[in-house]
Amino acid sequence: MSLQSVAIDVLAQADPEVLDPKQGQNEAAASGAGLAYGLAAIGPALGIGYIVGQAIQAMARQPESASQVQTTMFLGIAFTEALALIGFVIAILLKFV
Amino acid sequence: MSFIVLAAEASAETKNPVLPVVSEMFWGAVTFTALYLLVKFVLLPPFKRTMSDRAATIAADKDAAELARQQVASADSDVVDQLAGTRAEAAAIIEQAREEAEVERTRLVGRAEREVQAMRDLADTELSSARDKAMQGMKPQVSELAAGAASRVLNRQVSLSEAQPVIDRHLANQN
Amino acid sequence: MLALEFPPIENLVEWPAYFGDGEFFAFNKIALISVLAVVIPTVLFLLAKKEMVPRGLQNICESAIEFVENQVIMSAIGPEGLKYLPMLLSMFLFVFFGNIFEVIPTFQMPANARMANPLVLALITWATFIYVGFKHHGIGYLKEVMVPPGVPKALLPVVIPIEFLSTFLLRPFGLAVRLFANLLAGHILLVTFGVLCIAVWRLDAMAILVPFSFATLVALTGFEVMVSFIQAFVFALLTAVYINSSIHTH
Repeated sequence: MSLQSVAIDVLAQADPEVLDPKQGQNEAAASGAGLAYGLAAIGPALGIGYIVGQAIQAMARQPESASQVQTTMFLGIAFTEALALIGFVIAILLKFV
Repeated sequence: MSFIVLAAEASAETKNPVLPVVSEMFWGAVTFTALYLLVKFVLLPPFKRTMSDRAATIAADKDAAELARQQVASADSDVVDQLAGTRAEAAAIIEQAREEAEVERTRLVGRAEREVQAMRDLADTELSSARDKAMQGMKPQVSELAAGAASRVLNRQVSLSEAQPVIDRHLANQN
Repeated sequence: MLALEFPPIENLVEWPAYFGDGEFFAFNKIALISVLAVVIPTVLFLLAKKEMVPRGLQNICESAIEFVENQVIMSAIGPEGLKYLPMLLSMFLFVFFGNIFEVIPTFQMPANARMANPLVLALITWATFIYVGFKHHGIGYLKEVMVPPGVPKALLPVVIPIEFLSTFLLRPFGLAVRLFANLLAGHILLVTFGVLCIAVWRLDAMAILVPFSFATLVALTGFEVMVSFIQAFVFALLTAVYINSSIHTH
């Protein structure tokens, strides 16, 4: 718990004594960015879990085709992961543009 | 291309960390092209040569091993054939020996039987001659006895010469 | 209560030029890593002996070649893709060595956490698969790409723009963003835990938490090594898949 609060303190951008007129806008952008990334990560997280689970099942059923399944699994992960990564990029864009 | 330049300009203005910087793209393109040319013309060919040489050597060695294995197999079957031939020959020899032994045995047995037969015949003749001789020795006394007995029974004198043919016939019948 | 702030993200990824500042050939740390990503594989491949029985360095180089041959080309394209081996091998090596500097002390920066290198590589992939498509199918390649078989005629006005966009715009974009964002996220993750270690160390009462944050930092460093390799593999694999989709359309 204390570790978390320290981490939040470390990551907090602004010093409370410095009153920046753009501060409110920055904070809104930062929370928007965090929300964007959090939402963008939900779907791909489920998708990647499903892909890996199915791949493990396939490999357990047919260990001799494990390498083929693994390659296909990485392909599927790469395509699914792209959505989360686009969310990450959008988050950074929100924060800096 | 204009898209790239635009992106670079935007980056220079806002310092956005997402957008590419043109100098980094320049160096990335130059270095990647260099690496591609190096890999294609300098780095990869010797490795591919070595690897294909190795694959060829392995294939040749495998073929040689396969050939040797086939030779061993054919030599094996030769040995087996020879062994079978020898065995058949030995069986034939044994069979022949057995037949010869059989022939010899029958020959020996026949000879022994013949010898035994001859001996038996000899004994038989000796026996019968001895009996004949004894019979001949006994004959006068028997005749005399018979004549005496007949005289007593008939109450008349029966001469020996008169009784002799009857006695001889009777004796011949007895035998 | 804290003396330490999280550094702004520009400070994490933007590096001053060693020379040529402001020019198109400005040479900064990213460019230096790109140069090293060429020099290191070159030196390794040149130093390795080419013997019948491989040992040591030769084993490493040959397993890299065979990895790209078997896991990337044979599984994505097949034997006819072997002529793209130099291209895919150099992509794999360039991306991997660009990534691995993320965990090498004194560098601590993946070249691919900047958009430049991924974008250049993605544009090269894009040009390659379009070239291969036109080489194999002539001008009919455009029809092969944009008109999937079995689609009703009424849907074609919708399908054609979607297929065009997904093939010619989203592919290179996704390829570049996937590599870039993975490495940028990993870099920010490592920086976050590094900064956390320092911050906790400075707070006397909280110094007891240093081992935990440091252990996480070490574990994440190992994770990032894995990510470096997997992203290089995925980049080469996707390039091979796109080339394959240009050779065998549908």
